[in-house]
Amino acid sequence: MGHQPNINDMLLEVKNISLSFGGVKVLSDISFDIKRNEIRAIIGPNGAGKSSMLNIINGFYHPQQGEIWFNGHKRVSEKPFKIARQGIARTFQNIALFKGMSTLDNLMTGRITKMNTNIFWQALWKGPAEREEIQHRERVEQIIDFLKIQSIRKTPVGRLPYGMQKRVELGRALAAEAKLLLLDEPMAGMNLEEKQDMCRFILDVNDEFDTTIALIEHDMGVVMDLSDRVVVLDYGRKLADGTPDEVRNNQTVIDAYLGVVHD
Amino acid sequence: MFYRESGDFKATYNKDQQIFTIALDRWFVILFVAFAFLVVPFLINDYWEKSVLVPVLVWSIAALGLNILVGYCGQLSLGTGGFMAVGAYASYKLTTAFPELNMFIVVLLSGGITAFVGILFGLPSLRIKGFYLAVATLASQFFLVWLFNKVPWFYNYSASGMIIAPERFVFGIAITGPNAPPWATYLFCLTIVVVFALIAKNLTRGRIGRSWMAIRDMDIAAEIIGVSPLYAKLSAFAVSSFYIGVAGALFFSVYLGAAEPTEAFGIDKSFLVLFMIIIGGLGTIFGSFIGAAFMTLMPVLFKNIMVGGLGWPTDLVAHLILILIGGLIMFFLIVEPHGLAQLWRIAKEKLRLWPFPH
Ligand SMILES: Nc1ncnc2c1ncn2[C@@H]1O[C@H](COP(=O)(O)OP(=O)(O)OP(=O)(O)O)[C@@H](O)[C@H]1O
Ligand SMILES: [Mg+2]
Repeated sequence: MGHQPNINDMLLEVKNISLSFGGVKVLSDISFDIKRNEIRAIIGPNGAGKSSMLNIINGFYHPQQGEIWFNGHKRVSEKPFKIARQGIARTFQNIALFKGMSTLDNLMTGRITKMNTNIFWQALWKGPAEREEIQHRERVEQIIDFLKIQSIRKTPVGRLPYGMQKRVELGRALAAEAKLLLLDEPMAGMNLEEKQDMCRFILDVNDEFDTTIALIEHDMGVVMDLSDRVVVLDYGRKLADGTPDEVRNNQTVIDAYLGVVHD
Repeated sequence: MFYRESGDFKATYNKDQQIFTIALDRWFVILFVAFAFLVVPFLINDYWEKSVLVPVLVWSIAALGLNILVGYCGQLSLGTGGFMAVGAYASYKLTTAFPELNMFIVVLLSGGITAFVGILFGLPSLRIKGFYLAVATLASQFFLVWLFNKVPWFYNYSASGMIIAPERFVFGIAITGPNAPPWATYLFCLTIVVVFALIAKNLTRGRIGRSWMAIRDMDIAAEIIGVSPLYAKLSAFAVSSFYIGVAGALFFSVYLGAAEPTEAFGIDKSFLVLFMIIIGGLGTIFGSFIGAAFMTLMPVLFKNIMVGGLGWPTDLVAHLILILIGGLIMFFLIVEPHGLAQLWRIAKEKLRLWPFPH
């Protein structure tokens, strides 16, 4: 991994974030960071505020307090689509595919941040618009091959089974070639075999594309296997932060979370 | 087994992205368009021009425009009649102010002006959705018609309040006014329709079309993956209004020849075009055409059968037609909510397998 000397090791730093809706405090004073090229898990019981944290990172929620530093810069409050353009892509806890479009079109839409021929060239099609389309199609086809979804390329995603939809959604996020990939429970509701495939994909993405990943997952086995470091949230507070082993042996975590749910 | 895609492999992404991926489709459409351009002008007469061909062409453009907004971008609009009026009055002001202007340019400029108005009335879509947006566009419908009735500048202070299309030309051939030959008005409209159908196809198969559909299918996810809702929605309003403005300009100057806003561009026109795209198929270019043809030709067909064939009184038939069309719309909505285009697609899928269904 070629680290540039001037940019610091952290791709993302979350500093003292507090978020509330009305009177309800969802996150209070949360800080953690994500190193370049690591897989960072965020775990915690239902309602702990994990998804809300991702929503803050990609600009959909605006915290009342705290700072986000991305890629060495303090981030100003921006619209989500602008933050996507800075290099943050994500998948959703409840599948949020474009149901009326084919797998291919969903993935092509994932590359929207990288396409820019104007509307007049697009109306003409021949020329820059077509060239751009083909160039991005080639990249998307690589992702289709990587995820082994060649056979459903032209299928409207609404017709696909649940596990496949999750995979297509991962593909759409990959298509963005983002610096930071946020995965919100990518394996929820999958059977064992599908989970193994998904783990494989996540590890390969991390290795082959040098993508930094933030992962929310409830399956502790998966979390311990995949992640480099884990942050544990519990009702809006940060309980623990460290390597899987450190977190596993942390007494507060055992009491609050692991002890109840697992083993 | 003649209609097939097997053996028709695509070696490049370029080929896979063309408009008609199946060779037979492509040839059929090319032949059809060639027939429309090269043969029909020699056969056309006044009746076919005024009752069948020109109205189908004009309504096709309006349906294409509304389909871009509603079918592709998911923004429901009931302002079509009002936007057609903008196109019509723009073309009236342009033809009277600049008599020398080529009609093609008049029509394009009218579309451009309507696009601008469309963006203005599209602004509420950034804040409100669905039913509420429909009501906002309904307000624009009534406001625009009211405006064209109220401000005499729009109808050049004519005593009747009507606008009448003066005789105007393209390359020396009259396109508007009572002396325009049927083949000329037909070819004029056909050219515009073919060009704009191609443009609609190009826009919808590329980045902008995908950003429209993304907003339609799931607007929050779309924004989070990088679609700018402002750009996607306003560009849909602009393109859609451009088409509807062009349709309005043609409807008034080429088809009607004279118009009065309440009568020609009322709310019934907004619903007519909406029915066209629902029956034809939301979110398909082809559906816009069959929807427009269906809604324009059904009344003509029924009238020919009942008045011409059976000799029933005209006023009775007029009411019967309304009932029949209403019934047909309900029938289609129940049997095939995705419209005639979907029925056609299913038929093709069957045909592709025929005669061996497995
Ligand atoms: N937009 C919102 N408005 C109000 N409350 C919200 C909103 N989003 C989240 N919350 C609340 O914030 C809390 C944390 O929700 P969040 O979805 O972040 O939890 P989570 O850790 O992802 O849980 P799960 O494991 O069930 O996905 C919940 O109590 C939820 O009701
Ligand atoms: Mg969640």
